[in-house]
Amino acid sequence: MADLDLDQLYYAIVDGNAKAAAAVTKEAVDANIDPQTLLTDYMIPAMDEVGARFEANECFVPELLISARAMKAAMEIIRPLLLGKAVEPAGRVVIATVQGDLHDIGKNLVATMLEGGGFQIVDIGTDVSPDKLADAVQTHKPQIVALSALLTTTLPSMKRMLDRLVQDGLRAGVKVMIGGAPVTQDFADEIGADGYSDNAAGAVTLARQLVGVAA
Amino acid sequence: MNPRERYTAVMHYQPRDRSPIMDFGFWDETLPIWQEQCYPAGVDPDLFFGMDPQWRMCGCIMGLWPPFPGLQLVDEGETEIVQQADGVIVQRGKFLGSIPRHLRHTLVDRDSWNAFYKPRLRADDPLRLPSGPAWEMQLAEWTRPDRDYPLFIEAGSLYGVARNWFGLERISEIMYDDRPLFEEIVETLADVVITVLEYVLGAGVRPEAASMWEDMAYSGGPLMSPKLFKQILVPHYKRITATLNKYGVDIVFLDCDGNIDLLAPLWLEAGVNTMFPIEVGKWKADPIEFRRRYGKEMRLMGGFDKHILMQGKDAIAREIERLAPLVEEGGYIPTPDHRVPPDVKFEDYLFYVKEAKRVWGKGLDNLKPTGVIGG
Repeated sequence: MADLDLDQLYYAIVDGNAKAAAAVTKEAVDANIDPQTLLTDYMIPAMDEVGARFEANECFVPELLISARAMKAAMEIIRPLLLGKAVEPAGRVVIATVQGDLHDIGKNLVATMLEGGGFQIVDIGTDVSPDKLADAVQTHKPQIVALSALLTTTLPSMKRMLDRLVQDGLRAGVKVMIGGAPVTQDFADEIGADGYSDNAAGAVTLARQLVGVAA
Repeated sequence: MNPRERYTAVMHYQPRDRSPIMDFGFWDETLPIWQEQCYPAGVDPDLFFGMDPQWRMCGCIMGLWPPFPGLQLVDEGETEIVQQADGVIVQRGKFLGSIPRHLRHTLVDRDSWNAFYKPRLRADDPLRLPSGPAWEMQLAEWTRPDRDYPLFIEAGSLYGVARNWFGLERISEIMYDDRPLFEEIVETLADVVITVLEYVLGAGVRPEAASMWEDMAYSGGPLMSPKLFKQILVPHYKRITATLNKYGVDIVFLDCDGNIDLLAPLWLEAGVNTMFPIEVGKWKADPIEFRRRYGKEMRLMGGFDKHILMQGKDAIAREIERLAPLVEEGGYIPTPDHRVPPDVKFEDYLFYVKEAKRVWGKGLDNLKPTGVIGG
């Protein structure tokens, strides 16, 4: 295995080549290379590079998706190995589309990018009620709650969800980040969210800032 | 001037009496909420607000034929799971005006394309190209010399419908996993469009514009890279616009929500020269900036930020005045940049309409009255 070039894993993810990403990862695992090294030194930096290109309009949603698919192909191989180690994710995120809104594309993109950024994702779906969110926060004890909305008319649901976290005494324990087409920084400030991002790649940077993890 | 003459004059920068005053419709919830604010129940809003007539459409079947049978699969109370005519299984709200959530797609790869979709996109299917007395009557209406309304011909979609059939994630993968399939789908869609256009325009119909739809952008920009768009889609847009131009149809209108900054110049290059609805959004699109950037070759429709309708009369009046020089220049028909949401107060929308008629409509007496039922 002396010829194994782990940069190939980085480039396979950047290029969205899932087969190559899985093959290199398998080869690396067979060569007893620490899966944590693969994740932190190659896979997460690759997704960071894709996110940076996305934010710079050098790649677009399709390229983001195929890179995420390549990341997942590699993760499938190392996840069982990571379970046996005391490896902490960058943070745990409960993610949802708010009540009254069935849209999931934006939420899924953000979840994918956050996972690529080393976060553990608990996706509780679309049209999520404040009750369901509060239950999920109590159950999963995330560091971050990420809320998405596409419809202007469902923006008030975001406020209601934050209010519910306050009401149940859960708000102090989590950071809340929000996003979606009608969402702005002003709106985030207005409802007391901790952060807002206007794109999926920026959401990773924001999440890292919120939990105090370096990129 | 009648609405047809006025539309043609505006879009060709010719002298006209005034701008058309049009709307973009309303969210399902808006009119019921306005009824609590004195909007009369059961009244057509176009009649009540005294809008100029919208264009009417001509053409024949351009989509899947035969369609998939529309079926309700599960009744979930406030939501239901249905198979749409395009084969997609969706969950949708029965009561809210929400966009359906795609659950499962019949089109996933080349096999499903060949089995279920390609046979429904035969350009030469005789059912697409009708004949007989009913068709002759339709043609007679569309070609009537004294027709006084603008007529648009449907000119299809090269990405939007395929994205709906596949879903965003799968079509994005297909672009890389099976590029020839993506190219074949785009070419097939363009072939159907061109066949139908030739059939209708060849029969002597001369619409004022052609209408395309894509909805292939979101707040962050396009849903595919401009590079691939230029390589794969632009050549087929050019085939379509060349067909339209051959019959004298020189206004090609494209409906695409979202941030279209990176795609607009490529559409213009392909001969698609009218952008709609210029959704302002948080990316702050501005029809005045579009005109500055692309000149008079790019026509515009829409571009009045619906959020300003929520900010009260002073803000509404300021925006109407700000857009007035562009309206005066021509090649631009202002409307709200999407359907009017229920957050807008009825009295503020009424003010918007009256002020638009005063400024953009020059207060002429050929404007229909506002707030007079049946006026």
